[in-house]
Amino acid sequence: MSAMQVYIVVGVFAAVILAIAFNVIDMAVAALVGMCVLIVLNILDEQDLLAAVRIAAGPISLLFGGMVVARILSTTGVFDLIGDVYLRATGGSGRRFLLLLIVVVAPLCALLPNATTVILLAPIIIRVAVALEVDIVLPMILTAIVSNAAGLLTLVGDPATFLVGSSIGMTFGNYLKHVSLGGLLALAVVVPLLPFLMPDIWRVRRTLPPAEQRARIARPAYAGLSLAVLAAMMVLFVFGEALPTRLLPPMVALIASALALLVGYAAKVEPTDNVLRDVDWKTLLFLACIFCLVQAMAKTGLLQVMSVKLYELFGTRLTLVALAMIAGIGLLSSLLANVPVAAASIVMVKGYLVAAEFVPEVALSDQFTQWPAPTIAVFVGMMFGATLGGNATLVGAAANIVAAGICAREGKPITFVRFLRYGLPVTVAQLAASAVYVFALAHFMR
Amino acid sequence: MAAASPIAGAVLLGLWLSLASVPSISNAADGEALASVKTRGVLRCGVSEGVAGFSSQDAAGQWSGIDVDFCRALAAAALGDSRKVAFVPLKASERFPALETRRIDVLSRNTTWTLLREGALKAQFAGVLFYDNQAFMVPAASASQLAGALKGATVCVQKDTSTLSHLIAYSDASGADIKPLVAGSADEARRAFFAGRCAAYTADASYLAALLLHAPGGSQAFAILPERISKEPLGPVVRGGDQAWLTLVRWVLLTLIAAEEMDVTRENLEIRLRNPSVSRALVPDDTVTRTIGVEPGWTVRALESVGNYGQMFDRNVGAHSPLGLARGTNDLWTRGGLMYAPPIR
Repeated sequence: MSAMQVYIVVGVFAAVILAIAFNVIDMAVAALVGMCVLIVLNILDEQDLLAAVRIAAGPISLLFGGMVVARILSTTGVFDLIGDVYLRATGGSGRRFLLLLIVVVAPLCALLPNATTVILLAPIIIRVAVALEVDIVLPMILTAIVSNAAGLLTLVGDPATFLVGSSIGMTFGNYLKHVSLGGLLALAVVVPLLPFLMPDIWRVRRTLPPAEQRARIARPAYAGLSLAVLAAMMVLFVFGEALPTRLLPPMVALIASALALLVGYAAKVEPTDNVLRDVDWKTLLFLACIFCLVQAMAKTGLLQVMSVKLYELFGTRLTLVALAMIAGIGLLSSLLANVPVAAASIVMVKGYLVAAEFVPEVALSDQFTQWPAPTIAVFVGMMFGATLGGNATLVGAAANIVAAGICAREGKPITFVRFLRYGLPVTVAQLAASAVYVFALAHFMR
Repeated sequence: MAAASPIAGAVLLGLWLSLASVPSISNAADGEALASVKTRGVLRCGVSEGVAGFSSQDAAGQWSGIDVDFCRALAAAALGDSRKVAFVPLKASERFPALETRRIDVLSRNTTWTLLREGALKAQFAGVLFYDNQAFMVPAASASQLAGALKGATVCVQKDTSTLSHLIAYSDASGADIKPLVAGSADEARRAFFAGRCAAYTADASYLAALLLHAPGGSQAFAILPERISKEPLGPVVRGGDQAWLTLVRWVLLTLIAAEEMDVTRENLEIRLRNPSVSRALVPDDTVTRTIGVEPGWTVRALESVGNYGQMFDRNVGAHSPLGLARGTNDLWTRGGLMYAPPIR
């Protein structure tokens, strides 16, 4: 790519982000136009688009599957029932509502796909928010933020974490030992911020309706089948890859969507056309276009060049490199999808560690696992940066975009600036807490 | 860190974006490097930080050496101008990261072709530009005593290199009980040796020959022992996955060798090409050229820029160079060497 093309890509990407940030045009249209500009200028060619589709197919399949399953479940009355239980558990307290939200979302997102989990939980959270007479936007933003941060709790919680961890041969147990505590810390810092970020909800006290008015399931068999589809999807998310026919989570989501549509069709409760019409196509289109833009950014090679800069800037001071990872990758992940950022960063960091002679050149291999203890903090810094950076902006993570899409469909659109108002302070606090954690980790792993 | 356990593997699946769908940053797409080189208009060639005869810079900033010449030939083939090369000096530990992160398009830096580098690092060697071996350099005064008997000697060697592992293997196999003095870099190893901290210094023979040129006390003060303890085939390297680029780099090298096989030199090129059999043997037809993705006449341009392999060798490391190395294994197969070019057709 020529220098001019690099400038064009960066310019187009910046223009798209600014157009979204200042609400100049619809975010899906902005991303689509940006992508088309790069196609017309021959910067994104057929190979790039195919590569972007290959990357985007996974997350989009996951979201599509989650949307269809959630749409079918919404006709069963299950969400009303669970929402009712949740509402009772809050006792009418906004504070309890927010804290319970964290308690429910975090463990689920530690093991399940974040954005899909947000889709599935959104109807329940919205029901409770409406019942408590609070703005649905803030709980949905909190749901997205918690889902992203919870991805740090386990090695499998977030694709970026898994990508980094698996690239250095980190086991599930090793992850729990070295990283999970930091993830917990990143979640914990959200709690003291809530009274300041969401004071109107935090202070809410409502009198709940009497228990006799509880929701009921009208068609138990239909609800049972729909829930069975949901259960199968969740089990296969965790164990699908261990089956003789390896089922990756995006495949599981597609299978679940097919089963849910079959259940809906057989029960004659909801026409398939209605279900498919209600899929949030705009969010899916936006994500697809963003992945193409990220592909163009990756093609510039700017990230890869950073490996040399890292060495020039920090020499062999690994703790500084680890902290730079948190800040740098965090910043990039707030504007780009974190998976490609993490993928490019792994190459960058491994290159740096080889160039700085911490490890032999064989460390560039995918199979190398003999990482010296002091280098681990650098990779952990990458995990925190990639996962938590996405919390800062509306476009930083798929879960944020999904949450915004859901709110828009409820007539409460989330603007870039509004998300930023909540996302940025949380991200700064989380990255600061991560920096302290990584600093301590680097010290103990010397 | 240990490999993932089966239990973790079962749970790990949270990998909801299939890993298969994650972009491969390290592996290149087919044709990517040539497209980048053409768009940029400059070939980025990774070379050493300065090894006489292979890649070194003079006071005026002019690069020379056999590795440098190869890049010039490649630039001539790909871009039509041998001057369109940006040389990127790299220390040993930087070379593969530089290749992987696309800082360079080709690595032409006395790099040994090994299974590890192709298998684990996914790099691909285009061929052998120079057949080298690992050898020992000792003070000339002790050369006769040490030859074949480095028993118990302290030997300077660079850390984290195959040179060190070869030395250990040689010591074990010969029962020489050599004591390696491991230095952090080639430069540190050199300084330690010339400071008298080691009885010998081990590295590639060509590198030791280059060191001799600037040895304190002159090249007569030191000698390279006849022992050769490893095979070090050095050649240009490209990123894995880019077959089109590998093909061009490989066939530029083979063109240089083929030209020597036919006694075609830079000087007689124009005349010799009038001979249909020579032309047929050195100039591929347009169909083949189009599949490679370069302008017709690329083999001629490569030869015009640096001459044939023998000329390149002599000028930089051979008889007409300060190093004065014999052709040996680097001679043509017809003269008992290992250099052989498959037919260009």
